[in-house]
Formats: sequence, C-alpha cells, structure tokens
Amino acid sequence: MARYVAGRLAGMVLILFLVCLFTFIIFFALQPDPAVMICGKTCTPERIDQIHSVLGLDEPFVGQFFGFLFGIFAGRDYGQGANLVHCAGPCLGYSFQTGQSVWDMVVERLPVSATVAIGAAVLWLLIGIVAGLLSAVKEGTWWDRTAMGLALGGSSIPNYVLALALQYVLVVQLQVLPFPQAVAFGDDPVVWFESYLMPWLVLATGYACLYARLTRANVIDTLAENFMRTARSKGLSPALTMRRHALRPALTPIATIFGMDFAALLGGALITETVFGLNGVGKMAADSIAKNDQPVIMAVTLLAAFFVVIGNLVVDLVYTRLDPRVRITAQ
Amino acid sequence: MTVAALSPATSGRRVTHALLRDRGAVLSTAFLALIVLLAVFAPLISAITGHGPNDFDTAAIDTDLGGIPRGSLGGISAEHLLGVEPQNGRDILARIAHGARVSLLIAASATALTTLLGVVLGMLAGFYQGWVDQVICRVMDFLMAFPALIFMIAILSSLPQGNRSVLLVVVISVFGWPYLARVVRGQTMTLVNREFVEAARASGASTGALVFKEILPNLRSSLIVMVTLAVPGYVGTEAGLSFLGVGVTPPTPSWGQMIAGSVGWYAVDPMYFAIPGAFLFLTVLSLTVLGDRLRAAFDAGEAS
Amino acid sequence: MSDLLVVEDLTVTFPTTRGLVDVVKGVSFTVGRDETVGIVGESGSGKSMTSLAVMGLLPKGARTSGSVRLDGVELLGRPDRELRRLRGARMSMIFQDPLSSLNPYYTVGLQIEEMYRAHRGGSRRAARTVAIDALRQVGLPEPERRVDFYPHQFSGGQRQRIMIAMALVCSPALLFADEPTTALDVTVQAQILKLLAGLREESGMGMVFITHDLAVISSIATRVLVMRQGEQVEYGSAEQVFAEPRHDYTRMLLESIPRIDDALDDGVRA
Repeated sequence: MARYVAGRLAGMVLILFLVCLFTFIIFFALQPDPAVMICGKTCTPERIDQIHSVLGLDEPFVGQFFGFLFGIFAGRDYGQGANLVHCAGPCLGYSFQTGQSVWDMVVERLPVSATVAIGAAVLWLLIGIVAGLLSAVKEGTWWDRTAMGLALGGSSIPNYVLALALQYVLVVQLQVLPFPQAVAFGDDPVVWFESYLMPWLVLATGYACLYARLTRANVIDTLAENFMRTARSKGLSPALTMRRHALRPALTPIATIFGMDFAALLGGALITETVFGLNGVGKMAADSIAKNDQPVIMAVTLLAAFFVVIGNLVVDLVYTRLDPRVRITAQ
Repeated sequence: MTVAALSPATSGRRVTHALLRDRGAVLSTAFLALIVLLAVFAPLISAITGHGPNDFDTAAIDTDLGGIPRGSLGGISAEHLLGVEPQNGRDILARIAHGARVSLLIAASATALTTLLGVVLGMLAGFYQGWVDQVICRVMDFLMAFPALIFMIAILSSLPQGNRSVLLVVVISVFGWPYLARVVRGQTMTLVNREFVEAARASGASTGALVFKEILPNLRSSLIVMVTLAVPGYVGTEAGLSFLGVGVTPPTPSWGQMIAGSVGWYAVDPMYFAIPGAFLFLTVLSLTVLGDRLRAAFDAGEAS
Repeated sequence: MSDLLVVEDLTVTFPTTRGLVDVVKGVSFTVGRDETVGIVGESGSGKSMTSLAVMGLLPKGARTSGSVRLDGVELLGRPDRELRRLRGARMSMIFQDPLSSLNPYYTVGLQIEEMYRAHRGGSRRAARTVAIDALRQVGLPEPERRVDFYPHQFSGGQRQRIMIAMALVCSPALLFADEPTTALDVTVQAQILKLLAGLREESGMGMVFITHDLAVISSIATRVLVMRQGEQVEYGSAEQVFAEPRHDYTRMLLESIPRIDDALDDGVRA
C-alpha cells in the first residue's frame, strides 16, 4: 500500500513537471517579450534590460525554468541590491499586470471556485442520482421516458447558453434574482446564496443530466444481476435488497467519475465564472490569458493539473475501499 | 470467412432499420440534414436574400435607440427571416448559414483527425503492447491530466496569426484522441488474443492483413458510436472557444462568436442571443440523440 | 401426513414482442417430505421457470395459473410480502453460477447473516455465530476466518458450498437446487452432490434438483419429472423412468449418457 502510493506520487510529480515544462516552453517560445508590455509605451532599452534582469528574463531558458520550479518550493529572489525582492515560498512569481503575488491571488480566489464547485456538486449529485434511480426503477414508464428525454436535452445545452438564458429569464424578465455579486457569506448570506444560485444551477445541469443517465444505466444493469435474484430468494425486504444489494454496485462507478469531475472543477469553472463575473480561479485564468499575464497562466495551468492528478489518485485509493475485488498491486 | 463477411452488412441494415423506426433518430437526422444543407448552400442563400454574412443594413436598425433592430422579435421580417444583429444590421440567417459551415467543418475535421490518431495509436498500443504500449499510455495519462480548456485557450490566444480554423482542429484533436485511443487499445488487446486472430496469425497473415482484415472490422460498431458521440462535443468545444474569443477570427461568423456578441444585448434584444443559441443547442442535441440511438441499436444487436 | 409441495397444472406465461408465450405448460408434480425430486430437461425446457414460479421469483410481467401448495397453503396469487416470509425460511434456492449469485461487494458472512436475521431477527453477533456454524457444516475449512472473506476469494466449489450454507441457514423444509453443479469441475461436482445429498438426508427436508443431466439425477432423485419445451413429458419414480421410459424424448436423453454407466461399471470393478 505505502509502496503503491509512493509510486503513484512519483508518477504525479512527473506529470506535473511535464505540464509545467510544456506550459513554460510554449509561453517562453511563443509569447512576445513581457518586458515590453510591462514597460509600456515610454520605454527605453535600458529600462527593458532592467526589467529583464529583475524578472530573470535575461537568463537562458533552462535557468528561468528551474528558477520558477525552485521558487514554488523554496521561494526565490528577484533583482539585486536595492531592487531585491524576496518572494517567499511557495512562490509563483508576480503578476505582470498588477504586480500582485500570484500565490496570494490563487489563495484569494480558490474559495470562490470551491464554493461554486461544492454547491454545484451537491445539486447535481442529488438531482442526477435520484432522477436516475427513479428512472431505473420505473424503467419504460412515462416518468422514465420524460426524465431521460430531459436529461438528453439538458446535457446538450452549452453552459454559457444556459447561463445567458437563465440570466435573461430570472434576472431581467422575472427579476427574482439579482445580478451575481461578490459578497462573502458572512456579510449577507441571502445575497451570497442568490449570487451563487445561478452558477450552481448552470454547472449542475449538464452534470446532473449525465449522472442521471449513468445512474439509470448502472442500476438497470445491476438489477439484472444474478445476485439480485439471490437476494430476493433469501426473503430480504425490497428496501434492503435495493439499498444494500443494488445501490452499492450501481453507484460505485459513479463515485469514481464524480471524483474526476469534481477535481477538474476545483481548477476553475472557466466559462461559468466568466459569464457570471465570479472572481474565482477560472475567471483568473480567462483574464490572465486575455492579458497575456504569463506567471498567472502558469499558475492556473499548474493548479488545474494538480487537482486532476490528485483527484485521480484519490479516486483510485477510494475505489479499493468501495470495491473489494480491486486490490492494489505495487507496480 | 463468408459468415464474417456477411454479418457486418446485415447488422448495418438492421441498425438502419432500427433507427428509421425511432422518432427521435429520424427527427435528429432531419434537423442535421437541414443544417448541412444550410451550410452547403450558404452562398446561395445569401445570393437569394441579397444579404451577405458581413453586409451591414443600417435600414434595419434604429440608430436613435442605440442600434437595436427595428420591429419586434429582433427585426424578423420578410426581408430578414431570422432578424438582424443590433448595431450593424447584419442578416442573422446569412450568418447562421455561414457559421454552420465553419462549425461543421471544424467539428468534422477535428473528429476525423481525432479518430485517426485515436485508432492508430490505440491499435499500436493494444497490438504491440510492451514498451510501445507503455509509451503511448504515459502520453495519454499526461494529456488527460492536462487542463485542456485552459491550455487550448492559452495556446490559441498566444498564436494570433495564421489559420485559426486549422489550429482549432489541431488543438482539439491533440487533447481529444486519448479518450478514443483508450477504448480502442482495450478492445484491440482482447481481440488480439481471440481465436480467429490467432488462427489468422498462425496461417501466416501479415501484420497489415491482421490489422485491416481481422481487428479493424471488429472495432467498427464501437467506433461508429464513439465518433458519433464525439461530434457534438467538438461542435460545443468549437463554439465555446469562439465564445471565449479564441476561436475563428471575426468577421468570419461562428455560432459561438455570435452568442458571445449577444452578451451585451440580451436584455434589449433577446432574439440575437436566442437564435444562434437555439441552433447550437438543437445541433448538439440532434447529434447526441443520434449517437445515443445508434449505440442502443448496436447494443440490441449484440444482445440478440 | 400430506405432501410438502403440491404443484398442479402450473402454467407460466410471458408477454413477448410476438404475443403471449407459455414457457411452462400445465406441469404437475409433488414433493414429499424427506425426498428428492429431479426435474430434467434441456435449456429452455421451462425447468428453471417452474422452480422460480414456486419461489415467487418470476420476472416482472410473468403470469401464472394452476396451483402451488406448500404445506397445504396456496402460494400462487399471494402478495409478495407474504411470500417473502416463506422464501429463505420455509423454502430456499441455490443457483447455477455461484460467483454471480453472490454479491461481490459484501463478505460471505454478511450475506449469510442478513438472511438469518431477516427471518429470525437477533443481533449481528448471534447471526455471525450461526453463519460460521453453517459454513463449517458445508465443509469449508477455517470458517471463523473465512466468514470475513469476499466471494472472489473462494474457488468455484467453495462458493457453491457457501451458497448451500446460506440456503440452509434457516433450516428450510424445501430446497430448490437449480443446476448447482453445472458450472463446476467434474470432481468438484461429485463432492457438491454428495454434500447436498448428505445434508438433505440429515435434515429430512424435501429437495427439487434441476438439471439437464440424467446421470446426476439417477444418483440422487427418487422421483423424476422430464420437461421439454415447457411441457411435462414424463413423470414417475426414478426406477420406473429409467427402466421403462414411456416417451421417445426420455429415451433419447437416456441414450445420450451410456458413457456414465460404463464409467460407473468401471468404477465398481476397479
């Protein structure tokens, strides 16, 4: 077990290193000189050189890359002498746009993305699994056909289309919700809830539809298993038969899919956050890309990859708990 | 051999038959046919209505009211069947039709390239196994761990010049093929060990013959289903990237871009948003329904 | 003393795309206390459907007519909640494929305990002791330890032993064994047959043994019912059916197994 986890962790570090390297290469090779951008229009060659030296951009590629990597763990210094700035680890550098510490930006915005992700996840798990279960139990009935038709439709709406449509109906026409505002929960719980409600609904819709279809398919497959016939032959109550014998086999695969989906969302719901103007990691990614803010782009890419890789590991470890047939074998 | 050669043809006919009896599948196909016709004949439509996708029509908008379309429902009239865009009066029908060309072409090319990459690399991994498999699997792990959307946007925005459509296809495919390859790899692995492949190998069939005559035909039905279900994903991705401003460059019309353009207007001119939104939704839905029914038809065939 | 199970003119009907299909057509037989009745037939002969109909385990949509009486009480048409009290307690069943018939997500101990507790109640602790005893009774080595194993950790023969232990945990009066040895190796088949016959004799319950293999029946059953395409082609005592089969189909089945007799003869001589 410990050996397995150690091996997996090593693999994760390798993947994160590669993600880092690729992102770095692409921006190192393809981007215009950030110094020119920082310096603005009234710029002298001396000033550009100075910025280069402060940011370490005069170093060769390998030096810059390892400078960045090293900074993540141990912090790093920018510039020399009087201009020296120490960036304490974990250091992801400073935004070219605002000069703010990228680590601080991430720390500040992560809770927003987490709020969006957790709220949406609660909604889509509840709706998706309950609807899927009902459909499976009532297979072929009016309810099943309607629910599955809706699920097919719901999973086909691009989330920005749904976001705009919801905003038009709920905010502009019916005026039951305000425009989303950045309010902390402690300041005004009602406005906080109203502000997050639409992002939650928008994100949850697609997933809920997908999970409803998955749940239905899995439950129907499980109900046809021989062990379900055994359970009935034993005289167990229908409730116990369903709860114990059908649900666990049917929902275990969904738990693994959920882990991956949720991990990916923690890295930022880019489109939803952008449409609703929520200051999460996703919006930060969109903004940084639009403004060519390389240190921020590096950070959001790395952060998202980090969550995916961690999510992968957690899912595999949890799976061995959920399905006794799966046992870890060290590679 | 005759049995093997016969069964794909009959299963194809059976699946077609099953789809023809399904109302959802027929409606979806009809709608998709309409979109394809719209795309193919986009120039003809412009010629008949007299509105090109980028022709401004100041007569159709009310400059006193900030440029919102004259008349109700976003300026829908005999002149402009689907209304006009606010501010410049471009004909929405012409832009939808031309946008369909862009969307469908990109989605179709991305699907073709993804399928090619996924099938070739998935079969290589499954067929040779060993170190080839190891390498391909690591690459797949890496690509699937990558935050694809962020990276696609970043790459596309950092490459401002050049042919955006080609870039979109390449970027979508590079991040898309592992999902297909993973399934192809697994199925190839089980097929390689099946009797008929071993028999063919024992009788001295070349690797090429094994792959094209024995393995590929057996992957056919799952490939058709996976590919059909991938297309709506790519239509959505293309529109999403265009919506975020890193897709096709204006003034080339695209549905996602039209929706992005409508963001500032949806309160006063909801039709500008609703029309491209509905086209996008219905196209994705039709493709999804078709893929879903296709899978059901193939599954039913396997069960019987 | 009346017979344990009396089945009269049992018909099972399924709705299909081609209309209603009778999968069991007017079958009648009785099972006495302390005897084994064999039901023989090819796959699709309706032999499994007959037992499922008695147990009340037919798939949704299936319809039944005729009469099935257990201890003189009519079972057909009874609500499921009443049948449930009988299933597992008065009559239970073991199936052909023990691996897929056990839930892979739970230990075998839990799967035996839940059945015991559904009918007899009591604490988990008490049920666990019962489960360990049941496993010991079917000859599973180290039952105290293995009660916490999952089905995939056992061999095919061991899994069938576990199924038997489970089916018998509430000491039912009637046991249906639906091809219990078909999925097993020949040597293991013999062991399981011996175990079943021994346990049946010890407990004095009635058993319905369903198989496609007449050779197996000859060694275990006192009475035989032969089925073909849902119909009852022959019914009588084992000696009678084997000695002078009245139906061509039975004769055909018998003729297809001379090897077994030869093998038995060889075994006796050796």
